[in-house]
Amino acid sequence: MSELATPVVTPEPMDAVNGEPAARHRTWFGTVWRSRNGRIGFILSALVVLGAIFGSLGVTPYPPDAQNFNASLKGISLAHVLGTDQFGRDVFSQILQALGVSLEIAGISVLIAGGIGTLGGIVAGFLGRWPSALIMRVTDVMFAIPAILLALAIVTALGPSIIDSSIAIGVGYIPIFVRVVRGPVLALREADFVRAGRVLGFSRSRLLFRHILPSVAGAVAVQTSLALAWAILAEASLSFLGLGPPPPTASLGEMVSESSSLASTAWWTLAGPSIAIIIAVIGFNFLGDGLRAAADPRSKTR
Amino acid sequence: MLLGIVRRIVSMAVTLFGVAVVIFVVLRLLPGNAVTASLGVSSGLLTHAQLAALNHFYGVGEPAVQQFFSWLGSTLTGNLGISLASREPVSTLVGAALPITLELALASMVLGILIGVGFGMIGALHPGRWQDDVGQGVSVVGLAIPSFVIGTGLVTFLSSVFHYFPASQGYVSLLQNPWLNIQQIFFPALTLSLGIGAAIMNTTRAAMLEVSGLNFARTARGKGVSTRVLVWRHLFLNALVPVVTMSGIQLGYLLGGTVIVEQIFVLPGLGRLLVTSINNRDFPVVQTITLIFATGFVVVNMLVDVLYTIIDPRTRR
Repeated sequence: MSELATPVVTPEPMDAVNGEPAARHRTWFGTVWRSRNGRIGFILSALVVLGAIFGSLGVTPYPPDAQNFNASLKGISLAHVLGTDQFGRDVFSQILQALGVSLEIAGISVLIAGGIGTLGGIVAGFLGRWPSALIMRVTDVMFAIPAILLALAIVTALGPSIIDSSIAIGVGYIPIFVRVVRGPVLALREADFVRAGRVLGFSRSRLLFRHILPSVAGAVAVQTSLALAWAILAEASLSFLGLGPPPPTASLGEMVSESSSLASTAWWTLAGPSIAIIIAVIGFNFLGDGLRAAADPRSKTR
Repeated sequence: MLLGIVRRIVSMAVTLFGVAVVIFVVLRLLPGNAVTASLGVSSGLLTHAQLAALNHFYGVGEPAVQQFFSWLGSTLTGNLGISLASREPVSTLVGAALPITLELALASMVLGILIGVGFGMIGALHPGRWQDDVGQGVSVVGLAIPSFVIGTGLVTFLSSVFHYFPASQGYVSLLQNPWLNIQQIFFPALTLSLGIGAAIMNTTRAAMLEVSGLNFARTARGKGVSTRVLVWRHLFLNALVPVVTMSGIQLGYLLGGTVIVEQIFVLPGLGRLLVTSINNRDFPVVQTITLIFATGFVVVNMLVDVLYTIIDPRTRR
């Protein structure tokens, strides 16, 4: 009979939140790294950020603006890893500098969009009633104008400087942050642990900042990464149309547009900046995917 | 159902009113107005009387709310104002450009849906096999490569390898020279359709895979329904709602995309007019075009909503 008795086993320590064994508990980074997309995304975005930092600090193989007519339109070589343009400027150095500008604009615009959008989402979700109705009406209206067109209209009004471009690009992304934040806040407001807190007499700000916001942080992180990818793309599109920061500020979209007349003879002048944009966009998109896997334990990781 | 449509139209009108407010606020109330924009730095040299006269001419002297309603009123009655740059009526400029953009948008949408639904269906019917991998490859290319890179690459490739550039003879309309017009529209439409197609493909594939795991699909398979009927009658019709949703969402991307693609392929459509007008700070044209794009987007999304009730009887209330 003794075999039938429940064997005494020390239970595995449980993770309080997910109900999973704590032994499998991973850090955020660990979970991101575990998914294939997260790993690719992290590596690519890290490369882009490093390149941008080097470009902004002026740590480039050649001075990005240095013209050298003896070396104009040289193909890919050890001296110029991505070739040179018609003025003999090193394409790789120009890309690094342009990445710095791109990421600066993308970063500021995501700060604007994320800051205003998250705040709007919290207000709409937590306060409910008429502030919610008003904010959701405004986001509906903003959704009706395609974001890139809104950016074009704002650039028309403000001008093309770095900060103006950032505002133009950021505003179009605000409604997405509002929606992403409002949904979970709305759901969490009625969650058992928040109700319990309310019964215990916690103040609204304590409920909001200590109990609700930490649960929303994951969704915001995912959206921040996706927004960065979008902002880099939008900035490149604007500068491709000649509406980006004016010269001498380098930008990737402008490089693509300038190389279009050269590309049939010097394909590398088109390939370099194009690939840089693609790497940045894929990188931040995949990083967003990986973060999503980390933020939502139920989602399947590949 | 009729009541639902009326409710949607009212809600659409409210949204469009909001859109008009946003465009007005962005373009009129931010620093600088039509007067300073058209004169640049020299506007500082105007006397008070001159400034007042110009403000009156452009209708920017009155209080903002009054300006807004007089603008809205004249827009609704068909008076879109005069272009600051070309001095032509905005309606003439826009009227000439609109058909080109409509043709481009329609062609891109059709191509995008063909690519997206086609590859998505094939992928979902052979998950994990090479057909699926091809589809996934196309989707990564379409999603990751911005349209201006695809477009610039395509133009370079066609002109340098095949010495082929249909736009070099200037734009011709479908009625003037149908064959040349189709050639001029096809490549920009293809450029735009890759991005749209990729998004629609992912949605189609996911929706098809989800539906084919449901009980009714198993039942249909079990009672021996032929593959063709199973795929098209049972699976595809049930997977259609998310696909239609995604197509509606992609229209916004498409409208933004025409701006870039028209620039690359030298098509004198609304997008090209918009960029020219932005460079000239030609406010009346910019606000009209933005309003047209937003209206198109809102109307199509309303039609998508109505389409749900036709596709999926469960959504009828």
